Amino acid sequence: MTAPDRFPPLDVAVIGCGAVVERLYRPALIKLESRRIVRVAALVDPNPARTAALARQFRAARTFATPAEALASVAPTLTIVTSPPAMHVEHTVAALAAGSHVLCEKPMAVDADEAASMVAAAQAAHRVLAVGMTRRFYPCLAEAQRLIASGAIGEPYRFTYREGHVYDWPTTTDAAFQRASGGGGVLVDLGSHVLDFLLALFGPLTVTAYADDAHAEGVEVNCRLELSGQHADGTAQLSWNQPLLTGLQVIGSRGELIVDPSRLDLVRWRRQGATLEAVPSNATWPSDLALSGKRGRPSRHEQCIYYEVVQVLRAAMRGEDVPASGEAGLAVVRMVEACFRQATSLRLPWLEPSDQARLDARHWKGERWVAA
Amino acid sequence: MGGGVAVVGAGGFVGGRLIEMRIIEGRSDFVPIVRAARSLGRVANLGIRHRIADASDSDALARAIAGCSAVVNLTKGDDDKIVSTTRSIYTAAVDAGARLIVHLSSAVVFGQLDRPDLPDDAAPTPVSWMPYAREKALAEDFLRERMGDGRVAIVVLRPSLVWGPGSPWVLGPARELVAGAAYLIGDGRGICDLIYADNLVRSIEAVVAHAEPPSGFYNVGDDETTTWREYYAALAAGLELDVAAVRMVSADRYRPGMRDTLQRVQRSRMYRWAKDRVSPDTRATIKQRLARGLVARSPRESPVAAPAVTREIWQLQTSRYRLPTARFARTFGHHNTTTFRTGMDASLEWLRFIGLAAGDAKPRVPGSSTLSPEAAR
Repeated sequence: MTAPDRFPPLDVAVIGCGAVVERLYRPALIKLESRRIVRVAALVDPNPARTAALARQFRAARTFATPAEALASVAPTLTIVTSPPAMHVEHTVAALAAGSHVLCEKPMAVDADEAASMVAAAQAAHRVLAVGMTRRFYPCLAEAQRLIASGAIGEPYRFTYREGHVYDWPTTTDAAFQRASGGGGVLVDLGSHVLDFLLALFGPLTVTAYADDAHAEGVEVNCRLELSGQHADGTAQLSWNQPLLTGLQVIGSRGELIVDPSRLDLVRWRRQGATLEAVPSNATWPSDLALSGKRGRPSRHEQCIYYEVVQVLRAAMRGEDVPASGEAGLAVVRMVEACFRQATSLRLPWLEPSDQARLDARHWKGERWVAA
Repeated sequence: MGGGVAVVGAGGFVGGRLIEMRIIEGRSDFVPIVRAARSLGRVANLGIRHRIADASDSDALARAIAGCSAVVNLTKGDDDKIVSTTRSIYTAAVDAGARLIVHLSSAVVFGQLDRPDLPDDAAPTPVSWMPYAREKALAEDFLRERMGDGRVAIVVLRPSLVWGPGSPWVLGPARELVAGAAYLIGDGRGICDLIYADNLVRSIEAVVAHAEPPSGFYNVGDDETTTWREYYAALAAGLELDVAAVRMVSADRYRPGMRDTLQRVQRSRMYRWAKDRVSPDTRATIKQRLARGLVARSPRESPVAAPAVTREIWQLQTSRYRLPTARFARTFGHHNTTTFRTGMDASLEWLRFIGLAAGDAKPRVPGSSTLSPEAAR
């Protein structure tokens, strides 16, 4: 049976109403409601002040303290899971079991077993499970993929990816800074996006070495990964406290490519021996659920959320693909686990040798990983 | 001095380094106090026990510093909050029964020195053109009036330019050197009055460790006297660049430029009022359009920018004297164990670490590479 060209507004439930929803999903959902693509039907958070504040902007929304109450009361087409990472598996599986499709925020889960159980639950329920790898909607990624596929850069590729700045997300608790609740630090936070970005560009990659700066009771604030794939090798470096020269540099046999994730609209590249030039991206994404509807191009990270929700709904209603499926999210979680398995102490240039030796002795791997 | 040491502003550059150095040493008597959970991101690797309090709320702060015998003020907020925060920290420290306040002021309160032997307890320049200097001076006045009341010992430290890995005084010049936009005023003969971050941290700790720290004002700085040319030359050599390519600007007189106007606007209350009311979305759009405008003008790589001399840099680079630091050494001892050479080596290694200096990939000209916090979500 063919899906209709248009749909009535589809009910959406939001589990977890913290800063991610306030700053990213709220504007996208307001726009989606105004275009009659969705109706926010349920807002779930144990903190009633948060759900009440959001409910003022979504008139049809009912507020709930727990996902169980919400899923028993409404039947959302899509559930957006933005609760703390340690709760993703429970909330995702519950939503899938209730017949809802799910868009789960990154990191998908705190370990691969949990992520795998989420994928299995989606398969069993025949529902879409997408992971919020919002950078898949960056036009610059599409342009970089096009340039690489065209052979302009030339195999084999050697890449360097850096991303770092002083942590500035308005988190309301310190849950993100504890391994038990956050699953890790900058690798889990920024790294989920970065690893997914690199996988989307180069295909499967293996972690060959990993170092970070976490003490026994802390999470990594700086880390460095060595990665290797069939056609590409390189490093990735992430930081929550250093102003790294953010961006991806790819050097191939025929040219060089530079992607700056703060510039969604273009990449820079050059043939060997030529000058770098900026190339704008023409990539677009559907703006609604219509078969031949409008398309648009996000110019900022926040705008990608809109296109992401639309695409997940298109996958649910039309069987289209989602850029980052549960399987893609699982691949990232597995890479993060591979990093943590082989973690060693990172050399920090601002430490004197004696302090570096003390840091090495206090490194979390020695005191934590075996017990975990 | 027994009891804990409350570090107010532990999420900042100096505060973060202080906590890191002490934790690595195995010390647990330093208590980081931050305004919000997000400030812990910088030091989340240390797994420290922290307390959250807004430094401008003296009641909340008094609760947070309870049990601490010393309070170190390393806060860095808006200029117009410097005095009120200083007042709040003083009140909280007295209420909590602390014995010592270590307050970080700045050498900037004196503006440009016209003599080499200015006493440490000299009054700051009455009215500086720079709001930051003005407010820091007023905060000093507030503490000066309370030094004799016997309720709490007050040690005011005046560091010069705090440099080292992570410092804007390393990152800024290095970025300008790589971009070909660096300049030196008057052949770079002016005095670059520096204190390496770790030397400053050790100085703070020396005050805290003193059995009976005498209240007063103490200038702190590195041992070496360095000119701006020597500073830039050392950075340039580490970046494999030629300092001779740095452009020279006449020291005859200062000519205000666009950057001064921009800085004045950004410091104004009206600007901050408007900024607080513009959504992050709109701010991001404005930034992006500005960035796009720059690329549209220069589709190919064109790294060379004209020197943009600001009044602050002009004043710093034309300094003839550095602040004397003998009083601190006489009272608290000598703690500058990092020399200019070792500090520069660490700074250059840090520049390689962040990707600015040659390492596993050649240096690139930094563009608009600051991602919004949203991009990490």
